[in-house]
Amino acid sequence: MSIKSGYFNKHLHVDLTTGNAEHRDISDAFLEKYIGGRGFGAKMVWYNLKEHDFKVDPLGPENLLVIAPGPLTGVYLPSSGKTSFAAISPATGLYGDSSMGGSFGVELRQTGNDVLSIAGRAPKLSVLFIDNNETTILPMPELKGKSCLETEGIIKERLGTYTVHVATIGVAGENMVKFACVNADWGRNAGRTGIGAIMGSKNLKAIVVRGHNDLPTYDVSGLVTEADKAYKYMEEHKYFKMWQREGLMNVIEYANQKGILPTYNFKDSVFAKHDQINGATMLDYFKIGNSACFSCSMCCGNICLVKNGKYTGTVIEGPEYESCAMLGPNLGIDNFAAILYAVRLCDELGMDTISTGNITGAVIEGYEKGILSISDLDGREITWGDEEAILELIQKIADRQGIGDILADGSRRIIKKWPRMDKIILQVKGLEQSAYDSRAGISMGLAYATSDIGAHHTRAWTIAKEIEEGKNWSDEEKVNTVIYHQTLRPLFDMLGVCRLPWVELGLNEKHYQNFYKYVTGKEASLDELLELSNNIYDLTRLINTRLGTSRKDDSLPYKVWANPPLTGPNVGKVLSQKDFQKLLSLYYEKRGWDEDGIPPAGVERKFED
Amino acid sequence: MSKKIVVIPEQCSGCRICELVCAIKHFGVNNPKKSAIRVVTTYPHPVMRMPIVCSQCKVPTCAQVCPVNALRRSNGIMQLDKENCISCYKCVDACPFGAIYVHEDCDLPIICDMCGGDPECVNKCPTGALRLIPESTLGEFKRLNNVLSYTQMKEIEFYEKGEKKVIHYAEVGKEEL
Repeated sequence: MSIKSGYFNKHLHVDLTTGNAEHRDISDAFLEKYIGGRGFGAKMVWYNLKEHDFKVDPLGPENLLVIAPGPLTGVYLPSSGKTSFAAISPATGLYGDSSMGGSFGVELRQTGNDVLSIAGRAPKLSVLFIDNNETTILPMPELKGKSCLETEGIIKERLGTYTVHVATIGVAGENMVKFACVNADWGRNAGRTGIGAIMGSKNLKAIVVRGHNDLPTYDVSGLVTEADKAYKYMEEHKYFKMWQREGLMNVIEYANQKGILPTYNFKDSVFAKHDQINGATMLDYFKIGNSACFSCSMCCGNICLVKNGKYTGTVIEGPEYESCAMLGPNLGIDNFAAILYAVRLCDELGMDTISTGNITGAVIEGYEKGILSISDLDGREITWGDEEAILELIQKIADRQGIGDILADGSRRIIKKWPRMDKIILQVKGLEQSAYDSRAGISMGLAYATSDIGAHHTRAWTIAKEIEEGKNWSDEEKVNTVIYHQTLRPLFDMLGVCRLPWVELGLNEKHYQNFYKYVTGKEASLDELLELSNNIYDLTRLINTRLGTSRKDDSLPYKVWANPPLTGPNVGKVLSQKDFQKLLSLYYEKRGWDEDGIPPAGVERKFED
Repeated sequence: MSKKIVVIPEQCSGCRICELVCAIKHFGVNNPKKSAIRVVTTYPHPVMRMPIVCSQCKVPTCAQVCPVNALRRSNGIMQLDKENCISCYKCVDACPFGAIYVHEDCDLPIICDMCGGDPECVNKCPTGALRLIPESTLGEFKRLNNVLSYTQMKEIEFYEKGEKKVIHYAEVGKEEL
C-alpha cells in the first residue's frame, strides 16, 4: 500500500546566485522512502555531493542547504513543530543537521512545500521571502550587523505584517563562525553543526515564510482520536506538571546528582553551587512565563526575566539545560542572571550555546594550564566564573576580533593553532561535545563517537538509561541501546516531531506508526519506519566515509580516557580505550559495517534513485 | 447562565493547540489559519502570548456595522447567518480586538461560535490559559492575584506533621497602629 496523503509532493529549490526559484515535483516513491526532515536532508545532500564529485566546500555556494519539515509537522499531535536543517557542516566538513522547534516549520509547510533547498550565493545580503507559492529574494544590505532578534522585528516591519515566521542569522552567521546557528520565533534555534555559517556564506540573512494551505491529512478524525489519547497520557503522567513548571531546567539537578554535569570544562562533573542555577531557583526568582513549540502541551520552554542587579531587564526565551550547563557550571558561573545574559547574547549573535560554552571553557582551562598566553588572549585575562571576561570573549568570537577569529573557526582550528589544546577541548569530528559527561557511562561515549554529526546527544542519549538500569549491561546490550536510540530518535526528526514526549514522559513510540498512518494513509509498522530511519543512518555514514571518515575518527576526547572527574559520584572514573574499541567493533558488526567502519559496497546502491 | 471564554495570557505558552482544534472542529482540516482564535506573540518588550478570540460583547460593534444584519445573537452567542452574509468583511475591521478572521479559501469571515457552548479550544488548552466561566464570576482571578501579591506580604516556614509549609501574612507597621 502506498501513501495517499500527507504531502504536497512539492520541492522548492532556490538558487541564490541566479535568483531563480523553481517548484519541482516529488514522487510518492521518494516520499515513502525518505519520509521527510532529516531523511530528505541526507538524501539531497548526498545527491548534491555526487553531482559535485564529492568536492563541496561547506562555505562555498555549491553546498546545498536543505530545510525540511516532516509529514507530521503542524498536524494535531503532541509537539509537532519540528523542522530539520541539513547540509555539509562547516564545523566537521561532514554531514550535519540540526532541528528547530517553534512554528517556523509549520508555516513553511503551509506554503505548500514539503522541502526547501537553497544553493548558490546572493550578490548582496538578502532575505528569502516565501509567501505561499510566490518566492522573492529581497536584497536587504541594511540588515548587516543586526542581531537575530532585531532582524526579525525589522523584517516584520518592512513587510508590514507580524504573522510571518522568520528564521534568521546574527552577526556570528554573517561572519561565518563555524558554530553559528539559525534563530526563529525569537529564541528557537537550529543550533548545532554551523548551519548559520552556511546561511552567512550564501549572503542569506533570513528566510521568511507565510502560508495558508491545509496540511494534507488522510484521516483527520482518526488522527484526533489517536492524538487525544497521547495528550491524555502525557497530561496524566506524574512528571507532566513538573515539565510545565521547570521545563528542561529540571535536568540540572538530575545531572548534578548523577555526576554528569559539565563543570569547569568537564574537569568535574558536579557543581558546588548547583542550587543557585537550578530549575527551582529559576522558578522562584526568574521565570515569568511558559513557552511551547507548536502543538506541544509539555511547554518545556521558559521565559525568564532578570528583575534586579546589573543584568536587570534581560529577557530570554529559555534557558534550557544545555545552554545553562555549558554557559554556567562549565565556565564556573554561579550567577543565574549572568547565565541568562550570556544565553541572550548568544541568541542575539546567533551562536550555538553548546559550542560557545565548550570552547570558552577550553580557553579558560588552556590559560590556566599555560597553553594559552596572556598575549594569545589579547592581554585580557580570563578565569573561571569571570562573567565580564567571558561575555567579552563571546562577543569577540562573533565579531572575529583578536583570538575570537581563531576560536570562531571551531575546535579543529584551535587544536591546529595550539596542538596541546587537543587534551583540553572536548570534541568529536570537530563538533564540540554537549552537556552530558560520558565518563559516567561508556554507552554515552559510544553514542558521541558514532553520532553522524559529531559529539552531540541528539542521536543517542543513553546516559540516563545506563545510569538507571545499565549498571550490569553486557557489551551487547550497550551497543543495542545505542543503535536503537540512533534509529528511533532520528525517526522523530524525519517525521517532523519532537522526541521529548517519548524521552521524558515515556509516550509509547507505537503511537507514531498510527500518526503516520492517519496522516499519510499508508500502513507501516514501527519496525518498518525504523528500518527507513536505519537506512538514513547508513546514508549519513556513507556520506561521511566518502568524505574521509573512518574508525580513527570515531574516537572520544582525550579527557574521557585520562582525566577523571575530581568529585561527585563518578570521582576517579575514566573510560578504558580497550573496552571502548571492543564496543566499537561490536557496534560496526551490528551495523553491518566493516572493521574500519565503512558500510559495504551494496549500501550505496540503495540510494541511487 | 451565560458563560464566556476567558483568556489568562500569563498562562499561555503559545503552543497554538487552540488554533488547530478550532480549525479541525469547524473545517475538518489541520490548518491553524482557519481558526477563530489566534495566539499573538510579542517579544521581547513586552513578552506576551495572548490568544485573541471573540469576547461576545454585549454591544457588538461587528453586528452594528453589518450592512445585512447577518450577525445576530442567539442563545447568548454571536452567530453568523451564512445565508445572508455578503463577505464584505466590515465586521473584521470593526471588531476592536481583531477577533474575526479571514482565509483565502473560505467565503465567509471566521468568527467564534463557542462550539455551541462547549468550546473545543478551552477543552484542549493544556495550560489553563483558556477557561469557560460564568459571566458573573469574571474578574475573580484578577481579584485573587491582587490579594496574593499584596505588597507587604511576608512569609514564614513552618512544619505541620513533619511536612514543610509556608504561611503568608501581611504585617502592619507600628506607626500604622
